[in-house]
Amino acid sequence: MKLLLVEDDRETAGHIVDALQRHGHAVEHVDNGTLGLARAMTGEHTALIVDRMLPGIDGLTLVRQLRAEGYQIPVLFLTTMSGLDDRVEGLEGGADDYLVKPFAFVELLARVNAITRRSDGAEPTRLRLETLEIDLIRRTASRDGKAIELQPQEFRLLEYLLRNAGRVVTRTMLLENVWDLHFDPRTNIVETHMSRLRSKVDRGFTTELIRTLRGVGYILRAD
Amino acid sequence: MRIRFLHTEAFRLSAIYAGVFALSVLVLGSIVLVITDRAFRDQLVQFSSADIATIQAGYKGEGIDEAREVIEQSMAAPSTSDYFLLQQGKTRIAGNLPVMTPQTGTVSLPGASPGHDVLGVGAFLAPGLYAFAGSDLYRVHKAQQQIVQTVAWLFAAALLLAVLGGALVSRTFLRRSDAMGRACRAIMDGDLKARIPVRGTQDELDRLAGTINEMLDRIVALMENLRQVSNDIAHDLRTPVSQLRQGLERAKDGPGSEHAQALDAAIERTDGILALFAAMLRIAEIEGGKRRAAFANLDLAALLHHMHELFAPVAEAAGHRLAVAVAQDAEIRGDRALLIQLLSNLIENAILHTPPGTHIVLSLAQMDGRPALTVADDGPGVPAEEHAKLFQRLYRREASRTHPGHGLGLSTAQAIAELHGARIDVVPGAPGLGIRVLFPVSQKPSES
Repeated sequence: MKLLLVEDDRETAGHIVDALQRHGHAVEHVDNGTLGLARAMTGEHTALIVDRMLPGIDGLTLVRQLRAEGYQIPVLFLTTMSGLDDRVEGLEGGADDYLVKPFAFVELLARVNAITRRSDGAEPTRLRLETLEIDLIRRTASRDGKAIELQPQEFRLLEYLLRNAGRVVTRTMLLENVWDLHFDPRTNIVETHMSRLRSKVDRGFTTELIRTLRGVGYILRAD
Repeated sequence: MRIRFLHTEAFRLSAIYAGVFALSVLVLGSIVLVITDRAFRDQLVQFSSADIATIQAGYKGEGIDEAREVIEQSMAAPSTSDYFLLQQGKTRIAGNLPVMTPQTGTVSLPGASPGHDVLGVGAFLAPGLYAFAGSDLYRVHKAQQQIVQTVAWLFAAALLLAVLGGALVSRTFLRRSDAMGRACRAIMDGDLKARIPVRGTQDELDRLAGTINEMLDRIVALMENLRQVSNDIAHDLRTPVSQLRQGLERAKDGPGSEHAQALDAAIERTDGILALFAAMLRIAEIEGGKRRAAFANLDLAALLHHMHELFAPVAEAAGHRLAVAVAQDAEIRGDRALLIQLLSNLIENAILHTPPGTHIVLSLAQMDGRPALTVADDGPGVPAEEHAKLFQRLYRREASRTHPGHGLGLSTAQAIAELHGARIDVVPGAPGLGIRVLFPVSQKPSES
């Protein structure tokens, strides 16, 4: 994957480039918005990571202009603010996801992977992994042809995992995308719901599909 | 010295008003003058015509002597006309006017002295026999003079009143705007308690002063808030940052095998500090009020069921029971993500700060026609004297110091409630602790 990073802070940019390269991504880094927009328009990159505050044109304007020109490149927005208004503005401006600085690198990697998965094909009506299958229209789930009874939020959790099958999803991604929680809860919401879902999806089967990655998050994987 | 009130808006306005008023006095005066002049003259001509008619009637009845008789009687009696003349050819037969060239109809004659011109009616009683009756215009002139004088006085009085009134109004205005200026200057000089005096007259200046004072209150509250937050942050950060430093120092001197563990501990501590920052910034952002732009119509009952589904397993895992009770549905305008955070904070408090076996109830009801969301538990509760402190920033009860958190949960909840125009407080007399959010009554959802 070739990524474009638009970030003016040298130290932050250095860390991000290092981390991404260690995970096998090629990274091009530019330190201002004007150049960033020009580079993004070459269409050479798989995804764009852009800081909110930039010299030249700021991150939000960059993304808006990019979208106005019809570019569909996935964009991850970085922000140093508390994130409330920035998140709304960033997502309305055309970013695919946002991340509040400072962040753990596993979080950055997971987010980049998640936004690049978006296929340009039609929205599927069913999602499946091995014999685990959900019907997005009837909101039903089954494994090995046996129906699984799920609460609405459990269904959304499983749907999110299936959409990101094979990719790491972090706790924060789940909180934000499944439950609309944009803060750090003090109770173990994610762990509790995940263990309930697990008992419905994996109990009694030899292959465990939902795996916990300690200190990172979860992954839904077949092998 | 510049006379300041001459430069006020109030004075300018009253000057314009006075000018218009004076001009209308002038125009009105002129019209009155023209109309009265005409009326006076018409009346005099009418009197003279009547006299001529009487003379004519006398002549027709009994001849020229009778005509002369009529004139002489009229002149002797207090009559309406001042002047008469009856002349035959070039000879005056009767009257008090010299012989003149006969003119018939309405006739104006120059008077014996200035201002005493004559207006009258002339007619031939018979060929060569001319009669004239007329009045001295002196009285008309005198009346007109009086009218002109009255108008002039009115004009002068109007001007004087306007100037005096304008000056008075402007001085009052100046005094009050000076008071506003002084208050503003005092605030600039650091006296944040200074306010613009309000007279209680409810006039536009009073209302303006009231609005400005409210604005100042709000600004001062925000500043006070900011000061409080920076103090709190400084205070609350000193401990974790020094612990972080100590930990790193100890690890540096310790064996290499413990480094990884020390780094993990350092990262965890740093995350804690960052989370505190994030929570503080979030409260500040919510209190900034910008988020109101993101308000949408919200179904509170659905939101409550969502929260129940989210937290019921968590509560159960902690040995609690979480129930939901919706007495009446309610729709409000609000920010869903923030209200989720508000309710999460209340529910998490109830789960974390009560012993296992506690029942927690999320309820939605109407109170005085206002939607009321309540999160109540039947746990040990909080003493009444501590209720007010619960909402203070960074306040943590002794008993809860071992639990995760920064003492910002209820402050955040309060900020979110206030953003929605709602009041948050402790339900009095509840068995455990109940926190209620009372939304405003005027939350009629708009069409969207």
